[in-house]
Amino acid sequence: MMERNESKSYWRHTKVQMLTSLLPFVLAMIVLPLYADALNHKRILGMPLGYFLACQGLSVIAFVTIAVFVNRQDAIDHWHGAHEDF
Amino acid sequence: MAFTTRSRLVNPRLGTYFGIFTAAFAALVLMALMLEQLGAADAQVRLIMFGGPVLFFLAIGLTSRVNEAHDYFACGRRVPAFFNGLVLGVAALGGAAFLALTGSLFIIGFDAVCLAIGWYAGLVFMGVLFAPFLRKYGAYTLPTFLGRRFESRTVRIVAAATLSVPILLLLVAEARFAAYAAAWLLGQSERLMVAVVVTCATAIVIAGGMRSLTWSSVAQAIVALLALAAPVTIVALMVSNLPLPQMTHGNVLRLLTRAEINQGVPIVLAPSLAFDLPREGVEQLVKRFIQSFGSIGSLSFVLMSFVAAAGIAASPALLARSGTTPGVYDARKSLGWAVLVAGIVLLTLPAVAVYLRALLLEQVVGQRGDSLPLWFQLLQQAGIARIEAKTQLVRLAGIGFERDAVLFALPIAAGFPQVLVYLALAGALAAALAALASSLAAIGGILAEDVVYGLPDEATPEATRIGTARIAMLGAAFVTIWLAIAAPADPLQLFLWSLTLNASVSFPVLLLAIWVKRTNAWGALAGMITGFGVTVFTMLLGETGAISLPSALAGAVGLPLAIAAALGATKLTPAPGRNALDIVRDVRVPGGETLYDRELRLLRLKNRTPA
Repeated sequence: MMERNESKSYWRHTKVQMLTSLLPFVLAMIVLPLYADALNHKRILGMPLGYFLACQGLSVIAFVTIAVFVNRQDAIDHWHGAHEDF
Repeated sequence: MAFTTRSRLVNPRLGTYFGIFTAAFAALVLMALMLEQLGAADAQVRLIMFGGPVLFFLAIGLTSRVNEAHDYFACGRRVPAFFNGLVLGVAALGGAAFLALTGSLFIIGFDAVCLAIGWYAGLVFMGVLFAPFLRKYGAYTLPTFLGRRFESRTVRIVAAATLSVPILLLLVAEARFAAYAAAWLLGQSERLMVAVVVTCATAIVIAGGMRSLTWSSVAQAIVALLALAAPVTIVALMVSNLPLPQMTHGNVLRLLTRAEINQGVPIVLAPSLAFDLPREGVEQLVKRFIQSFGSIGSLSFVLMSFVAAAGIAASPALLARSGTTPGVYDARKSLGWAVLVAGIVLLTLPAVAVYLRALLLEQVVGQRGDSLPLWFQLLQQAGIARIEAKTQLVRLAGIGFERDAVLFALPIAAGFPQVLVYLALAGALAAALAALASSLAAIGGILAEDVVYGLPDEATPEATRIGTARIAMLGAAFVTIWLAIAAPADPLQLFLWSLTLNASVSFPVLLLAIWVKRTNAWGALAGMITGFGVTVFTMLLGETGAISLPSALAGAVGLPLAIAAALGATKLTPAPGRNALDIVRDVRVPGGETLYDRELRLLRLKNRTPA
């Protein structure tokens, strides 16, 4: 279990991690589709770049976001001793 | 203190079991394929492709019967992250993605991507913002958590009442999707199939609650994924020699775009608040596939992706799953798997749409209306496709196509054996059944745990609690059948309304309950009531045309207002009590015993010792 005075710094750490995970993702979620048309004249893997970024790109970003979040948050839990003891 | 270990909880043979199931299902499909080639009657093959998978689901659901509340409402907290993620991903998608999103992508092209973005963003939000904390609390339903967190039975009842509405909308929508797929699969009327599929879903989930739901939904997810992958992968192999439709439909897309330019398909630009998703039934193809913001305006696009994301993230039907994993770490990890599963599906659906559109442009457009290929005539006879003038050359803009039929129109158009068409339908049916069953379990849990036993203490005997949940599920199933038959609204619209209500009722209050310690019961009540009221009012205004905001986007108004109301009411009223603050502090730390389990254990101890 975690020390009581550790919980403040643990929660601050967790909040920062939440924001660093979500803010870039939310930004990508807004920006990529809006500029899709402007990018569509370039191609990647035969696909128009804007379409590729908004479909394939964004779903890969989503997966990377959540994967990095799971690992980072687990590291934070262990750093502060807040992890589950199985 | 660890009473049980992860390794003791999780069944190590799960992979083997579902490997066997996958092999059995593949064998069933191959058998149906052989029977078809040997000249068996069409009705027989249809029955095999409908009855086979559904019998599997029923068998899994009925044999997972349980008598303990811990198993009935939380699957004994023994679902490994991968399986939980698989179920979450497919239950979140449901028939709405498999049938309606494919069709919308086919008809309005890029603009429908806003829904796809909403889906995986919603799962990301759920994983980062809600799921680990709800798992740490471990409540069986969302209103139970809110009631405990705010130390208020009023909050619990109000949450149960307001959250039942979006679940009910979701139930009706998924019942319609499942019935649609089943009706095409069996060649029966959709009204009859509504009753059949809802009965099946109820039978699957009623015996073992969350346990039946989890293991049968894993099977449904496997069927749905295989059935989605098979036809489109074969098409990809034929087109590009690579079995990866998600990555290789680019060349087809390029040819498609060129053909559309040659056809003179216009570039349409919609006003920024336009929201013209294809409706149920036959819709005209109007715009180029790749062009953005032709049917849905740019502002609507962004708002829709956020409303859908918030709606998925805070969906009470999906969050009921968060208690089933062995630990908080697994709850986070399961959302990772869910994003992966949903991402793969949502990348495959555009490929289906692109291939079908390319086939249409290649073989139908530019031909004379009375000398069309056989598959298109079949689709015309079935009422799926329509062309304007029979004797002139067919133009792309003159073709109408039924939205929900696109998924299984691809194997028809590619000239595949009928079994592959039925396979696509069985997959859509399985996905819709998974979503239907998970909503049924959620609403049964909410009605039993929070409405009936929300007033007295949790000391009710477990058998009574489970019995009440079963009765509640039956009641919800009857209401669903009745609504789906009596009020046949567009199921995609119902699904979007359910998301928009989730986004404005459950998302703000959950966000504040976990992330803002100061929020008290008054704030929660104000948030939920404001969110619900404002959203319903905006939806009504939007539907009657009094304001130009489309009703599906009402959550974009409701969500910020609900947060503002909750924060305002919190500021004006005293801070929450010591107990509530303790709960928030405990919920935020993954380590330690699951709070709800500890509460029930203490309650049991108290009742055992005579006073």
